[in-house]
Amino acid sequence: MAFLRKVQLDEKFPPFAAYRESYGFVPNFFRAQAILPRLIEAQAGLEGVILKEGKAFSRIQKQKIHLVIAAALQDTYWVTARIATLQSLGLPGIHAGRLLEDFHQAGLSTAEVALLDFCLKLSLDWQNVGLGDIEKLRSHEFDDFAILEAVLTCALARFFSVFSAGVRPEPDFDPYELPAPTVAAPAGVPARSSGAHGSYQHGRQDPYIRTVYLSPKTFAPFAGVFKTHGFIPNVYRAQSLRPDVLEAVSRSVGTILVTGDVLSRIQKECIFVAASAAIQNSYCVAAHCNLLRGFGLSPEEGDQIAIDHHQSDLSDADKSLLDFSLKLAVRPFEVSREDIDGLRAYGFTDEQILECVAITALSNYVNMLQIGLGAEPDFELPHGYEQKKVYPPEAEDRHKREGLDVPTSTMEVEDPDAGLVAKAQAGELGAFEELIRRHSSSIYRALMAILGNPEESQDAMQDALLSSFRHIKRFEGRSKFSTWLVSIARNTALQRLRDRRDTESLDEGVEGEEEFRPRQIRAWQDNPEQLHSKAETKSLVEKSILGLPSKYRIVVMLRDIEQLSTEEVARQLGLTVPALKTRLLRGRLMLRESLAPHFAVSTGKAAT
Amino acid sequence: MITCDEFFAEFGDYLENRIPHEVRQELEEHLSQCRACHVLYDSTLKTVKIVTDSSSFELPASVSDRIIDRVMAKLNKEQS
Repeated sequence: MAFLRKVQLDEKFPPFAAYRESYGFVPNFFRAQAILPRLIEAQAGLEGVILKEGKAFSRIQKQKIHLVIAAALQDTYWVTARIATLQSLGLPGIHAGRLLEDFHQAGLSTAEVALLDFCLKLSLDWQNVGLGDIEKLRSHEFDDFAILEAVLTCALARFFSVFSAGVRPEPDFDPYELPAPTVAAPAGVPARSSGAHGSYQHGRQDPYIRTVYLSPKTFAPFAGVFKTHGFIPNVYRAQSLRPDVLEAVSRSVGTILVTGDVLSRIQKECIFVAASAAIQNSYCVAAHCNLLRGFGLSPEEGDQIAIDHHQSDLSDADKSLLDFSLKLAVRPFEVSREDIDGLRAYGFTDEQILECVAITALSNYVNMLQIGLGAEPDFELPHGYEQKKVYPPEAEDRHKREGLDVPTSTMEVEDPDAGLVAKAQAGELGAFEELIRRHSSSIYRALMAILGNPEESQDAMQDALLSSFRHIKRFEGRSKFSTWLVSIARNTALQRLRDRRDTESLDEGVEGEEEFRPRQIRAWQDNPEQLHSKAETKSLVEKSILGLPSKYRIVVMLRDIEQLSTEEVARQLGLTVPALKTRLLRGRLMLRESLAPHFAVSTGKAAT
Repeated sequence: MITCDEFFAEFGDYLENRIPHEVRQELEEHLSQCRACHVLYDSTLKTVKIVTDSSSFELPASVSDRIIDRVMAKLNKEQS
């Protein structure tokens, strides 16, 4: 019996007609989702473009990939269904059986074996997939279109298997008995060697495969992506050889993730973040933590969900939902009916549980794409995020039982201040004094950025320093001490703004900001910094910055004077990255207008 | 070639060097042919550099010392 409540849909439901055509029947997998027909439509769209006859691979080849992946994941449902489909496409059952036993011995060409090896590695051991695997495919004459098609096919296979583990559809035919696996399904996510996480860095490298430029102005799916993120993340760009897939994906993501009628948007993003953290995909964690901030969740709260949702302020019900999602993401076929009943006991409807399954499956899909295509990170990771805290408790037990390397928490960030901090926490005033001397400049600039007035900033600095000493015992080393100290200063300044009810600077939306276009088009001198003395330049800059409306002043100061990263500024101010970028560009352009008389060609010479 | 509007849409990211290779090529082709955008780009880049290098809003050491001394005096008094 399937896990979730069933309803009957009209057989004329268009996706059913499409499935009848491609499978020869309507798989129970889709019927099991009838309580939310929009999910079925979303998958029909994806499947339609990914599994159809492609440039590189035939339908049979793609079905074979799905069959082999389903078998490796011990997904009886899809093994049975794929065998039936392969038969309907003309592949004799005996061939399918040989593929399942060991595809290396099934008389395939070496290229085809290499392809299946790659697909299995990506599906089961994705942490170790790298450029070398792509090069291996290229050595078998697979071009970039083929590689993209292969990765998409794998991603969809994993999506379907995680999904089927969560809903357990009844088999459509007599279940095929799986031979003992030749490739073991992983017990959980393979533990990364320590320090691997530190390699998450902003890269400027291109994806593994060729990309083409699709303008957000003319390519509708990118317009939506651009609106959400403020740029086109690499994981989308990496798929640019297949605009048709991007179109289908944008519709599916829209239907699965960007709806709020069953689970709320925030709940969904939390699931996405937690599931991505569980499969150790820093890229997706970073991207979606970023989005969570845009939904009014405080940065700390969003980050906490990635780090360990049990320690977050979520309700017990929501925590149990994330527990379920984590288990499904990491060990899909250990999910049982009891897990579903547990969620029902918390009051979740079957529709909500189904959506949670869909989002977890989607996080697996995106994970495969990002890893398989080598989309370099382009989001900043949350503070204190460590992939290792997110193991569900049972997973840790399991690791212990099996004598595997139990991931240990490495929350501590290496911090040059650590020694002094420990002393200061023990009450040593001398140590504290040394710490604040080290960081007094950053503290002052943070205050000036927000308050925009030297006297008031100096006054606030005193408050901030006293307050930091009173709270220093609460500092747990989740971030660098300097970051913590500056954030206390910032909060002190923000509180002062609130006290004088001057919050226009922070709360004002970004509407109307897009239209700002500069008017000054006079060229600037070649070495503008040599036109004035250092002191003069400093005074010009300070005057121009203080002349900006405060919301622009704050952003420009944090980004260009303090030199925090864009993501960090957005985080500190609780803005989305796109909103921040709009503000930053506008602030810089305003500064440019106000400095132009002193640096542009014709007046520059007269200015001194 | 892309239009000035298209250039401007990517301008912020271009300044931040957050542009993938293939887009950068398009933008640079535009820059090489459009004087107005080139001036805008050049002067904005110079603005950012001037601002970043200006050592603006540095707290004079004397002021910093005064504040820290005051804070430490207060804490010392509280502890005794």
